[in-house]
Amino acid sequence: MALVEIRNLTKRFKKGDEVITPLENVDLDIHAGDFISMMGPSGTGKSTLLNMVSGIDCPESGTVIVDGVEITRLSRGKLADWRAANLGYIFQTHNLVPVLTAYENVELPLLLLPMSASDRRKRVELAMEAVGLSDRADHYPRQLSGGQEQRVGIARAIVAHPTVVVADEPTGSLDAETSQQIQILLQRLNKELGITLLMVTHDDDVAGIASRQLRLDRGRIIETQPMNGHKSLAVVTAN
Amino acid sequence: MFRFAPYVLKTLWGHRARTLLTISGAAVAMLVFCFVGSVQEGLDRLTSDEDANRTLIVFQENRFCPTSSRLPEDYAQRIARLPGVKDVMPVQVWTNNCRASLDVVVFNGAPPQQLQVSRDLTLISGNWSDFESQSDAAILGRNIAQRRGLKVGDQFSIGDLNVKVAGIFNSPVPAEENLIYTSLKFLQYTRDLDAAGLVTQHEVRLLENADPDEVASAIDQALKAGPIATTTRRKGAFQTSTLSDLVDLISFAHWLGYASVGLVLALVGTTTVMSVQDRVKEHAVLQTLGLRPGRVFRIVMAESLIQCLLGGLVGTAVAMAVLAWSGLSVGAEGVTIAFRPSWLLAQTAAAISIVVGVLAGVIPAIHAARIRIVNALREA
Repeated sequence: MALVEIRNLTKRFKKGDEVITPLENVDLDIHAGDFISMMGPSGTGKSTLLNMVSGIDCPESGTVIVDGVEITRLSRGKLADWRAANLGYIFQTHNLVPVLTAYENVELPLLLLPMSASDRRKRVELAMEAVGLSDRADHYPRQLSGGQEQRVGIARAIVAHPTVVVADEPTGSLDAETSQQIQILLQRLNKELGITLLMVTHDDDVAGIASRQLRLDRGRIIETQPMNGHKSLAVVTAN
Repeated sequence: MFRFAPYVLKTLWGHRARTLLTISGAAVAMLVFCFVGSVQEGLDRLTSDEDANRTLIVFQENRFCPTSSRLPEDYAQRIARLPGVKDVMPVQVWTNNCRASLDVVVFNGAPPQQLQVSRDLTLISGNWSDFESQSDAAILGRNIAQRRGLKVGDQFSIGDLNVKVAGIFNSPVPAEENLIYTSLKFLQYTRDLDAAGLVTQHEVRLLENADPDEVASAIDQALKAGPIATTTRRKGAFQTSTLSDLVDLISFAHWLGYASVGLVLALVGTTTVMSVQDRVKEHAVLQTLGLRPGRVFRIVMAESLIQCLLGGLVGTAVAMAVLAWSGLSVGAEGVTIAFRPSWLLAQTAAAISIVVGVLAGVIPAIHAARIRIVNALREA
């Protein structure tokens, strides 16, 4: 059974007089431990799909079931509780809270869970260690480089041991060298900690680190399978 | 519940210039509110307490300033014989300024033995026997002594009056603490006052079952045939009439107090709106991490409440300290209104700060809680 089951997912919105349908009857299964990258031209619904899986956007129709919970039926409050316990979100622009230190930023999601202060401290220390930033715990975001900020963002996304981690162009605002480091980190988190990752990217190289590579095009999800250095195309859903 | 308190405090500290300006503004506005409230309380005390309702003032008819009322001293015996009257104290009043002033000095000359019986004065320094035995001795209310920097043994002059401080007293009636008492004779024989055998007013204390208005009418009726006609009123009504110009001014100032509260509301409201608008994306990130909209609402409310309450408490504390230490008063025609701190006023100011903090925060808090996460995350 898939960890995330997406069935018949449709999203429409109006842009002026035009009705845009970035997703129409999309199906997708994500299994525990998967590392999926999603690529595609702008406006094809990559981020929209990511937001649906994250429970921060609602579909027109269809369902998203994560670990047996149909999140598309949850109320706004319940959805927030679900996100606190089950979702890690890595933003493109890091989005750290500027008045909090790196440690406090990573601790934020844990404040929403029933957990003692000592347990929180252990979890934060482990997460900071996992991203190699234990020595920057007391630094504020303005005192960190872009790569360090993103690593804090990653620590914040994994600290609560979420069911699934989503990443919206995690290397989009970084230089090539820092982007490489973040790619290695994401791959390591997936392989060593078994974290299920769904990542949106525009970069072929970044997409290449994922175990499954998807392409969204005109409402269709196409899976590209890396094979002997080549990529084969396999349509998994079609409208 | 308080897990996000450090976040709230750090957010306020992170924008400390804005926070401190808002707190300062709220403090100044609540300071003004407390000052206005204290004047209002002083006036209420003068016009509505037990003493104001159970004591009558006999004054010369159609006269207002103490210097223009000249009643025979022996009216006291005639008044004392009337039914319902407990005792009568003749009082000579001298003031350095008949107009409204913040530094009015009022001398009351009265027989010391009667003064001791009819007034609830407690000497905090000096002694009563010196006051009784020395003709130029005076006892000073705590506030006037503090304001003028006088202590027991000092000799001081105001106008043609030259007195020696024999004691300093406090009183449960704050307005009393702005008065200087001398013996009646001393004030009557002061140069240029030319008041031998005359007094400014008679203060009449009533028996418990006496009706004040009936006794007042009987006094005026009894003295109608005398050399000087009188007007007798309850002390509260007399003081209200004497301070009529100031009463109008104080009523107007009352609105100033409300305006101050409105100012705090506008100030804290504006700051909170700005803070929420600046952090639309941050609130969206917090909700993405799992904060419920209700918790975001409470965080914004807490920021508004903290600024308002802190400003309100600082302003109230400063106002209370200044009111307690300055001994400020305003007076006209020999009647003074004391500005005094009070717990009621402090509690009212604190309660208003809380209410204003809630009102100022509620709309921005709703706005922050109801943002569409996806749209807000797209903001630059």
